[in-house]
Amino acid sequence: MSTIRALLSRLAGVFNQAAKDRELQEEIDSNLQLHIEDCLRSGMTPEEARRHALVKLGGLVSVRESCRDRRSIPWLESGIRDLRHSLRMLRRSPGFTLIALLLLALGIGANTAIFTLLDRLMLRPLPVKDPDQLVMIWTTGPHLGSNQGSRSSSYPMYQDFEEGAEAFSYVFCRHFTPLSVSWEGQAERVMGELVSGNYFSALGLGAAVGRVFSSEEDDRVYKGHPAVVLSHQYWVARFAADPAVVGKEILVNSYPMVVVGVSAAGFTGVDPARSPQIRVPIQMKPLMTPGSDNLGNRRNQWIQIFARLKPGFTRESALGSLEALLSQTLEREITEPALRDIPRSLRERFLARKVRMESAASGYSHLQGTSQRTMFATLMAMVGLVLLIACFNVASLLIARAAARQKEVAVRLAIGASRGQLTRQLLIESMVLSLTGAGLGLVLSAGLLWALLGFLPTNGMLLTVSPLPDWRIFAFTVGLALLTGLIFGLAPAWQSVRVDLSSALKSEGAITGGAGSARLRRGLVTAQVAFSFLLLAGAGLFVKTLRNLEQTDPGFHDIEHLVTFQIDPARNGYSKPRVKNFCSLLQDNIKSLPYVKSVGYAWIPVLTGREADWDMVIEGRARSERDDTQVWINCVSPDYWETMGLGLIDGRDFDRRDYGDHFRVAIVNRECARDFFGNRNPVGLHIGFDTDPGATPDIEIVGVVENALNEGPREGVRRQVFLPFSQSSFPYAASFYVRTSAPPGPMYSALRGKVRELDNALPVYEMKTLRSQLAETLGAERLTATLSTAFGGLATLIAAVGLYGVLALVITRRTREIGLRIALGARRTTILSMVLTDAFGMLGLGLGFGVPCAYLLTRYVSTLLFGVTPIDAWTAAIAAAILAAATILAGVLPARRAGAIDPMQALRHD
Amino acid sequence: MDKTDVWQGTLALMVLKTLETMGPLHGYGLARRIEQTSGNQLTVLYGTLYPILLKLEQEGHILGKWGQSDNNRKAKYYSLTRSGRKHLASETKRWEQRTAIMGRFLSPSEEA
Repeated sequence: MSTIRALLSRLAGVFNQAAKDRELQEEIDSNLQLHIEDCLRSGMTPEEARRHALVKLGGLVSVRESCRDRRSIPWLESGIRDLRHSLRMLRRSPGFTLIALLLLALGIGANTAIFTLLDRLMLRPLPVKDPDQLVMIWTTGPHLGSNQGSRSSSYPMYQDFEEGAEAFSYVFCRHFTPLSVSWEGQAERVMGELVSGNYFSALGLGAAVGRVFSSEEDDRVYKGHPAVVLSHQYWVARFAADPAVVGKEILVNSYPMVVVGVSAAGFTGVDPARSPQIRVPIQMKPLMTPGSDNLGNRRNQWIQIFARLKPGFTRESALGSLEALLSQTLEREITEPALRDIPRSLRERFLARKVRMESAASGYSHLQGTSQRTMFATLMAMVGLVLLIACFNVASLLIARAAARQKEVAVRLAIGASRGQLTRQLLIESMVLSLTGAGLGLVLSAGLLWALLGFLPTNGMLLTVSPLPDWRIFAFTVGLALLTGLIFGLAPAWQSVRVDLSSALKSEGAITGGAGSARLRRGLVTAQVAFSFLLLAGAGLFVKTLRNLEQTDPGFHDIEHLVTFQIDPARNGYSKPRVKNFCSLLQDNIKSLPYVKSVGYAWIPVLTGREADWDMVIEGRARSERDDTQVWINCVSPDYWETMGLGLIDGRDFDRRDYGDHFRVAIVNRECARDFFGNRNPVGLHIGFDTDPGATPDIEIVGVVENALNEGPREGVRRQVFLPFSQSSFPYAASFYVRTSAPPGPMYSALRGKVRELDNALPVYEMKTLRSQLAETLGAERLTATLSTAFGGLATLIAAVGLYGVLALVITRRTREIGLRIALGARRTTILSMVLTDAFGMLGLGLGFGVPCAYLLTRYVSTLLFGVTPIDAWTAAIAAAILAAATILAGVLPARRAGAIDPMQALRHD
Repeated sequence: MDKTDVWQGTLALMVLKTLETMGPLHGYGLARRIEQTSGNQLTVLYGTLYPILLKLEQEGHILGKWGQSDNNRKAKYYSLTRSGRKHLASETKRWEQRTAIMGRFLSPSEEA
């Protein structure tokens, strides 16, 4: 306790040394007087008394010194002195300070922004109990059914794991689904999460108000738990944090449910990117997704499984126990009617499905797939390189400054400063620069993040990623700043204290630094050129990828004039026949609008990355005939093809005759026809699907349609089978497509009006043109292309400035030599080419390092590319050309100055 | 016996003890008092006292305050705080233990 007290008082002492010094002096003086008076009283002469008193006091200087050291913390005090000196020196050269700060703020700010994204989306542990114990479980291999979302499993599979796995204290599951919530007559569309009853106990989370779900109360009866837990955020936003809402009834998808509680503040869910507003027990699934009841269906993969490891189990040992469980489950599934007749090889692949497990300490989001991870890692690496280039540039500036400050350093050395002290002072100067730069960068990064978040694909939900820094981001930035300061400060500091005292003190005027510092700066510039090439080449690949994706022919005609929007009538309580009637009526009503050429609608919106795939059975063919029977499904309305601008190659479109509760007719696309039927015309043949176990192939192919993209350009053209929306047994949501002859913008309100005419309470969402839908789907690619281009451009700019600096320095140092050459008759063009040759020498050396590096590194981003190979000669050539242009720009100014040297003056110049 | 210089740790203890028995004292008075108490066997260069006073003050064991001396001179007077009293008690105990142990080592053994 007393030690801490002493330390605090010493820390305070750092700042008021002078006052304390004065007080000590007063105390000593007063005591001295007291002593002298005593001595006088005992009969000494004033002189004797004074001498005696001083002797008894001891060495005055050493007393003062030891008090001073005792009073504060000496190293801290000298650190502060160095700091003050650094600030003074930086203020004295505002140009240098400004440029260095700008470079560092840009470099560090960009790094902080990308790191924040990375951290919030995949690094930071979830705010739950012991996040390290959490794992995610999924299976790979042919699922022989339908699949929704990444890493999905069927609900019965979850139940098998939940009952049988001894390695876990909890196995829980979840599923996102949009829901319609109605409260006091106001309906709104929210994101809901269906969760198993043990969800909250598994995460170790309680309620802020009321209670959360439990296995006992909320996971027993099929369709029997009309309970809702609100997220804290939604409770505050929609219910004004009113605790009285607990116990009240709200309508979810027009079904009365009771709000039982509010989850803990700060908890958003196991998805770090998106969080639901309400949570509902998973047993309520049939009511939450009207028309789709797949709780008991083993061929439907739609939930994500998470689990908490029991203490003492590792992921490896837990995985072992799951593998045994999975093979039991698969053995059982293969005997079910739907899978009984599948080909042997498929059967083998099915039984060889693997269970996978990964730590879920940071949760899992749709932005954590392999390609997104590669994307973020690539961006982080690129932005790191930009900072390194900025570092090298600042180092180069510091070396130039060190040369100019050689005299100051020499003087300080001469009057007794140690080289260690000087190095420390110079390093503190670097740290001041980098920390200030980091402070500016932190502000910059928050702004940058706002912009970045707009690029990320949301898959139809709001992203809940905060761009504001917290202590983790702050610590990262400070750490990065210190590292940065060390990288760019160490070499120049070391250089500058290595001065030769006598020569430095003797020389007159400006000093331009020795040959050593010039060589160092050349090295730094060469490295900057090499890194810039890497960044430019990478940017080129990503830009080309984006262009290829954007220019892929979607198949759909003129997507600028194709307006799309979505409605979800089933979630507002519509029965199946009512949904079909509603959609059909809406189609007719919209068609009556001016400028509308045609209208169609589909079950799954195109170019959004969403898909449904089933396994197809063909009449008269054994199932064992082929392995890969996967086809991509959509349900569409009459006039859909006309609206999308796709021509029927053969057969007919769906029409009002195609009505009912079972699929009777189908249209296949050209790719499907080619792949399954070869040269034969498929019209008139019958097909069926494995999702209807035991059904005979009784769906007649009535038409063949032109190819078009489905999920997006990256996935390409699929084998597609289209079924009539009006024969669907699950007609819950519809995406409308409206072909207009007028600019689409003014159409939006008219379209909304048409929906409102039919049902005022039905939300309309995702209204946009198909072109902007495609742009959104390519958001991640655009983010990568835009950022990498920005990084490449910035890097090139910085490197060019660095190059300019070195060339200018060389000219200054060689003024005499150049003057002599001109005097001896060298032509100005010779001088010009001499300087440019020097510049191109550095460029060549930089490319000499950069090209092989790019060759080795670009292969790691091959999964992000589309329509371009990682080693692309054109991209490399363009990158090199950009750098060459930058080199010429950087070289021309110093070269012209060199050419303009007046030999008379240059030779007189010492 | 020669006049002996005093080492720092011991001097701090002497300062605390002197303040306990004498009440508030200034630095010079403290030095004189310690010399007197030692029967003039110790000599205290009172310059060495200031760093010790500073340390004790920082640790909160003593409190320095400017006041008037008997002959109307301004001087800084130090007094013992409560934590100083506690510290003195525990330090005294430790000192006694230590001297007792050393005593047992250095005095001729009685059982022998």
